[in-house]
Amino acid sequence: MPNKKILIVEDDPDVRLGMQIRLEANHYETFFAGDVESTVPAAQKHTPDLILLDLGLPGGGGFKAMENVKADPALAAIPIIIVSGRTGQETRARALKDGAKAFLEKPVDNQELLAVIRQALGPNETTHPKPGAP
Amino acid sequence: MTEKPLRVLLVEDSAGDARLLREMFRSEGPGSFVLTHVERMSEALRHLAVGGLDIVLLDMGLPDGHGLDTVRRALAAAPGVPVIVLTGLDDEALAAQAMKEGAQDYLIKGQIENRALPRALRHAIERYRMQAETDFLRKQQLQLKDEFLSHVSHELRSPLTAIYQFVSIVLDGLAGEVNPKQHEYLQNALKNSRQLKSMIDDLLEVTHAEGAKLRIDPQLTSIPDLIVETVTTLQETATAKEIKLSWDAAPSVTSAYADPTRVRQILIILMDNALKFTPKNGTVKVQSRVSEEDSGFVLVEVIDSGCGILPDMTERIFERLYQAPDTGLAGRRGLGLGLHICKELVLRQGGKIWVTSEPGHGSTFSFTLPIFSLVKLIAPTFMVEQPEHDSMALVVIELGSQSGWLSRDAQMESFQQVRDVLGRCMHSELDVLLPKMGTPAATEFFFIVAATDEIGGEAITKRARQRLSRYGQGQPGLTYTVSYRVMRPTNRIPNESVEDYTERMAITIQEMVDEEGSRKVTTIAQ
Repeated sequence: MPNKKILIVEDDPDVRLGMQIRLEANHYETFFAGDVESTVPAAQKHTPDLILLDLGLPGGGGFKAMENVKADPALAAIPIIIVSGRTGQETRARALKDGAKAFLEKPVDNQELLAVIRQALGPNETTHPKPGAP
Repeated sequence: MTEKPLRVLLVEDSAGDARLLREMFRSEGPGSFVLTHVERMSEALRHLAVGGLDIVLLDMGLPDGHGLDTVRRALAAAPGVPVIVLTGLDDEALAAQAMKEGAQDYLIKGQIENRALPRALRHAIERYRMQAETDFLRKQQLQLKDEFLSHVSHELRSPLTAIYQFVSIVLDGLAGEVNPKQHEYLQNALKNSRQLKSMIDDLLEVTHAEGAKLRIDPQLTSIPDLIVETVTTLQETATAKEIKLSWDAAPSVTSAYADPTRVRQILIILMDNALKFTPKNGTVKVQSRVSEEDSGFVLVEVIDSGCGILPDMTERIFERLYQAPDTGLAGRRGLGLGLHICKELVLRQGGKIWVTSEPGHGSTFSFTLPIFSLVKLIAPTFMVEQPEHDSMALVVIELGSQSGWLSRDAQMESFQQVRDVLGRCMHSELDVLLPKMGTPAATEFFFIVAATDEIGGEAITKRARQRLSRYGQGQPGLTYTVSYRVMRPTNRIPNESVEDYTERMAITIQEMVDEEGSRKVTTIAQ
């Protein structure tokens, strides 16, 4: 079984790299987009199983990026998890209303991030972290 | 004088007093005052509604208005217009009260000197203007500061995320083997990044609290459960500091009507503080019982054997940005926001918070929360004496998700939205949508209690189905069923008091709610 694919949409290169290392250590394949404009093309190209989406993105913000993804019938079903530096009930409520599967606040605890990803990928999740991998 | 004439509304029903005052205005000469005189509160309110007044001279004993009530009504009718009250000699206490309510000044009838009146009016207006300006500036500054804090807190999160990520990556051995010394030092870095995160959270919390954006979702909340949970969370910290952390909850204390997330937050802040200010070999104890002062409240105490608080500090300690003076204890001082947040959270849930302390021997932080009472919640429905209140309808709404709930967040959000939808389905203002009374499960029950009969129950059910169907269109996978039951006869026993009747109804509702909740949950969850 191939590894599950995750598209990381995040404009901060350090945060992006940190996520990549953590996710790859847990046997996910990762791809990137750094702004709103490149999100849909990246999703079309890599057909990820899940998208991690920052809200403070250049080019109109994460909500815009989510709207674009949801507007493409081929991509609309991909679960989106928001990982945001912006917090607050209103932002959270809007994200979930717009179709995000979960809303995580930065900095996200590693275990929590992995748990939410596993949950969002559903029971067909086949990736088994190697024993002892954090 | 080149000043514009002052437009004065005189509200005075005594012809003699009115004449005297009119004389005083007249002696000021034309052009300095435009006086409108009315004798009734109702007329005064009409004039105030129209506007164009600079000040109101208000007698507090009118045929259609008495005492402080007249002041409140006048201020409410024209919030931008200062009010001076006119009182008799023996009413000075009342006049002082009026000023607390927002009157600018008071004049004692029979003691007003000719020349003093215009001066008093001009001063009152000037004072009022300055006060309004100060208030406005203060509000503006507070808002700017909140926006600034909020912005800064959010911007700090990205670099903090990167620090946390890379420290944990190295620590977890993802970048090669780590020797024990490195491991220890990286643990320190990680611990500090967590502290920084909680400081940022506090900053945000405070700006939200004061912007009234804080959401409190009161429900049936087990206080003993939360105490055990939070004590367990902090046990490790206590052990590391060699402090004995224990708890004790009276069995009589069951549940409060409060937001569990917020209560957890309060407990963590108080225990964290207690641990911080208690030296090695000390004790921290958390206990709860029904309040001796008011049996409608649960009292929670966090007792430490720490350094204590000076008596004159016990109030100030809950102020924003308060910092404990040097206690001689090692450790970081933090932002000084924790107790302020606690106070906001307790107050917003209808409780009180205070501290008693003996310097050198320790402190006891106490707070109260209202005890969950179905009787209190449904009281509005049964307080009105109407014949149709002999029957009662319980509308039961069961909500589930075909695909299962993907996250606790999404689940809670859906529940909240459905509560909002249901809130608009009720029959009258007297109907009650009961708060959450169970732990989150695959399906969630909502209950509406209405003092009505079959027709009313049917109407609410129909409306709930319609609205939920509309809401469900945007929520794929959402399932719901709506049904209702009418309790009849639940006739009042002869001579039964409303209180007793309400209590009996509460027991009946509790039974029905328990029965619904224990039904086998059949909704498929993945």
